[in-house]
This record gives sequence, C-alpha cells and structure tokens, in this order.
Amino acid sequence: MRCLLITLLCLLPLVASAHDGMRMEMPKGPELGASAAFDSHGRLYVVDAADGHVRLRHSDDDGRTLSAPVEVNATAERIYAEGENRPKIAFGPHDELYVSWSQPRAAPWTGFVRFARSPDRGEHFSEPLTVHHDRAEITHRFDALAVDGNGRIVVAWIDKRDLLATEARGKPYLGAAIYYSWSDDGGASFVPERKLIDQSCECCRIALARMPDGEVAAFFRGIYGDNIRDHAYAVLRADGRTSQVARATFSDWQIAGCPHHGPGLAIGADGIRHAVWYEAKGKPTIWYGQLDPGHAPKHPLAIAGAGAGHADVAVHGQTVWLAWNQVNADGYALMLRRSTDNGAHFDTPREIAHSSGAVGSPQLLLKQGRAFVAWNTAAGFRLVEVPR
Amino acid sequence: MKRLLLAFALWLPALACAGTLQPLTAADVPALLQPPAHGARIVALWSLDCAYCEPNLEALARLQRANPHGVELVTVTTDSIALRAAIEARLRSMKMDGYPARAYAEASPERLNFLLDPDWGGETPRVLVIRADGSRRGLSGALTPAQLHKLLP
Repeated sequence: MRCLLITLLCLLPLVASAHDGMRMEMPKGPELGASAAFDSHGRLYVVDAADGHVRLRHSDDDGRTLSAPVEVNATAERIYAEGENRPKIAFGPHDELYVSWSQPRAAPWTGFVRFARSPDRGEHFSEPLTVHHDRAEITHRFDALAVDGNGRIVVAWIDKRDLLATEARGKPYLGAAIYYSWSDDGGASFVPERKLIDQSCECCRIALARMPDGEVAAFFRGIYGDNIRDHAYAVLRADGRTSQVARATFSDWQIAGCPHHGPGLAIGADGIRHAVWYEAKGKPTIWYGQLDPGHAPKHPLAIAGAGAGHADVAVHGQTVWLAWNQVNADGYALMLRRSTDNGAHFDTPREIAHSSGAVGSPQLLLKQGRAFVAWNTAAGFRLVEVPR
Repeated sequence: MKRLLLAFALWLPALACAGTLQPLTAADVPALLQPPAHGARIVALWSLDCAYCEPNLEALARLQRANPHGVELVTVTTDSIALRAAIEARLRSMKMDGYPARAYAEASPERLNFLLDPDWGGETPRVLVIRADGSRRGLSGALTPAQLHKLLP
C-alpha cells in the first residue's frame, strides 16, 4: 500500500510538470506566408521564411523550377510568416531588390519591422535594419512594402504605441494605428515614422498600390465608431504634405475581434482604384468595388461567400482579375474571376488550381500583360498562369 | 491511510485532465458538434494572437460558473497544438485551464474552420452554441452582456 502511494506521489511531478517551463512561442502552424514578384527582366522572385531566415528563391521559367534559396538575413531571427503577416518583396527602378518582414519579439502581439536590400539581384543582402525609430517592445507588425515612382521605398505597418500611451492615461483606445516611413537613399536608412491614422484594425494586412502619378496609396481596415470594421484609403505622402485618410467602404460590420482578413488594391493607369475586401455583417462575403474615398465604392459586386478568403486583385488595361482561396471539406480551390470591361462586369468564378493541403494567401502578379497567381501550398510554391 | 489513498487516486486523473490540451482534428468535429444531452454546449474559439479573446473567454467562464448544470464550456484554439506550451500557459494565465481545451491539429486550419462552421470566416473570437434541441448558432467578436445572456438555455 505504502509502495503504491509512493508510486502515485512519484507520478505527481510528471503530471504537474506538463504545466511548467512555459515560454511564449510563435504560432507554428503551416508557415506558408510568402510573397512573389517579377523583376523587369521577367525573372520571378519568391520570399518566405524557414528556420529563422527569410529566404529568397528565383525562377527563370515562370515558377516551374526554383533556384536554391539565398538567406536574406545571415543571422537567424524570429520571423512572422503567416497568411496576413508574411515577408514582402519589391523592386527599385534598376531591379534593386528590397525585402521586409515582421520580427516577433518576446511578448505576445509584439514585433519589429525589418528591412534588407540587395543591389545585385539577390546575390548579397545588406545587414537587416529596423525600419521604425521607436524601439518599444510593442506591436510594429503587418509590414507592407512598395516603391514609388521616384524610387522611394515606402513601408507601412500596424503600430500600438498610441494604444498603450492612451490606456496608460486611463482612456480607452480601440484597435491600433497605421504608421509609415520611407527611404530616400535606396534603403540605407528610413526617415522617422509618421502616423497615418489612429484606430486601425490590429491584425489585417495593409494593401499598397502605386498610382499613375507614382505615389503609393494604402487601403486598410479601420475602426469606425463602436468597432465598425470598415476600410480606409489614403495616399502615403512622402513630401511633407499631410496624408488625407478617408473611409472607403461602408459595410458596417461590427466586431470586437480580429478579422484576420485584410483587403487588396490595384490601381489602373486610368486611376481607377480596384479593390477587394471581406466582411461578415450577415454572411461572410468578399466584395469587389472601385474605391471612391469618402463615398461608397462604385460597381460593388459580392464575388464570393462562405469559405472564401484572402482575395487579391490586379489590373492591366481594361482587364481586371480577382483571385481568392475557396475552402471546402476536401481542401482548397484557387478561384478566379475576370473582367474585360474595367470591372463593370465579371465572368463566373472558375477553379484554376486545387490543393488538398494548406495554402497561403494567393497573390496576383502581372508580366507583360499576362496574369499569374503565386500560390504557396503545403506541397510547394506554385505559379499558376491564368488561362486566357 | 486507505481512504487517503483512494481520495488521492481519484484526484489524480482529475488533475491530469484539467488543463490537458487535446488535439482537434477533422475527424473529431462531429463529436464536438453533437448536441448535448441537456442545456447548451458553448464552443469558444480563440487564438493566441487575439487580444479580444481573453475577456471573452473569461466572460464565458463566468456564465458557465453561474449555470454549471445548463452550460458546458469547451475552449478551442485555432493555433496548432504544436504550440502546446504557449497555449497551456495562456489558458492558465486566463484561469481557463479548468475547462476542456482543444487545439487545432490539422494541416489546413481553414478547412477545420469550415467544418466547424461553414458560415465562419476565421475571425476570432467566435462562439458556437449547440443546444440539446439540435439547434446551432455562431457569433463573432467579444460578446456583449446582452449577447451572453441570450446564450443561456
């Protein structure tokens, strides 16, 4: 009897130890957060994260074969590589290669926005730098990267410094804020960041797109009134002028929560702002519309419903493409719709690829007027050419 | 001594179960969504990366404690069970470790979202209410006191 009791007592620490030694870790779900882009020579570049490194691969045959990876950050660090918070890639006017990512810090919901550049098509990278001058251990995450018509590198992100400062004064503050910065010296340094707007959503990606005049515009989920999670549009001024932010969607979806679902934006040569966004005021819905900041979008169209997510949009001439993931009980379909009249009408949805395993968010890419979808799947990266 | 031993032996499995995170796979979903024998089962979906989830879980726990016989509460995190240590630490810090807890153990989390509730786009927190009469309801976002009150059977 005493022996049994002793045995039981010996077992006790085992049971208890299952709860000890906790440390905060990063979500280790399928890390399929990747971004891809074509350079001016038509070479495809892909960035994703593995083993603490952002890695760069390229392809000269439209994704059929990928090069061996190059490590962007020589020293390993933690990297967010989830669907809405993935490494980004962009090119300078002479194919300088720019990469940004968000680095998790020790506490939950914190991060630093990181940046590195390569002058030689990815053969060598600079030591990564932290874009923001603020070094508080708080959220600076969900980086978005673009290059403007003057070659300025623009980075925007979600930032919680105002939330913490306001709450420290005992006042309420919904959501986070959008901050941005830019580099006038090809990414050697970034100017001190400025706030675009208070009370953005905390966990939805920011969409950036270049306008015909070369400036960079942002489309992102904001918070209006009591947790109405509609979207805002702003041109990110890098010339000292104040950026004007205007509400651009009016779905009135109210949620005290994390949609984990950011929008997409593509601006045509005619200046039309083609956008896609998600809301679930009634049933979950992905919308297409042409933004008219301050007013409801024009040509609104519910493009997909339940099980659809993470849409992207691209435009070339009068052709507009929409792509999204459609989940069902068997896996994921990569769905596509196309308009040939600049977004006035779209054809019926069609499946252009399928995956039984997990997938990342689809990303529409253009090369000489041809559309492709970059789709990172558990079985590997795929570049799916859109059927003409 | 015998009585002490018996009490101890009975207490041990309880200690082992409370707060022991169980995997949730696609095959487990039908059982989780099965109507309870009486009252309501509340499936509280949350994620580590959701600041709204903590107060929501705490409010649901208060509701359950006030209605221990009518409400069964199960927490499900959409984070991978590979993050067991971080998830269990958070459950403990939220004092939610006394409730049955599940974590996603499926390579395709969105597929699990869809199987749990096809009308759910993955936003968190999400609460599924399954009643003994077979009816089911999904609610997104941190629930207001009025919404919480309506969850009661």
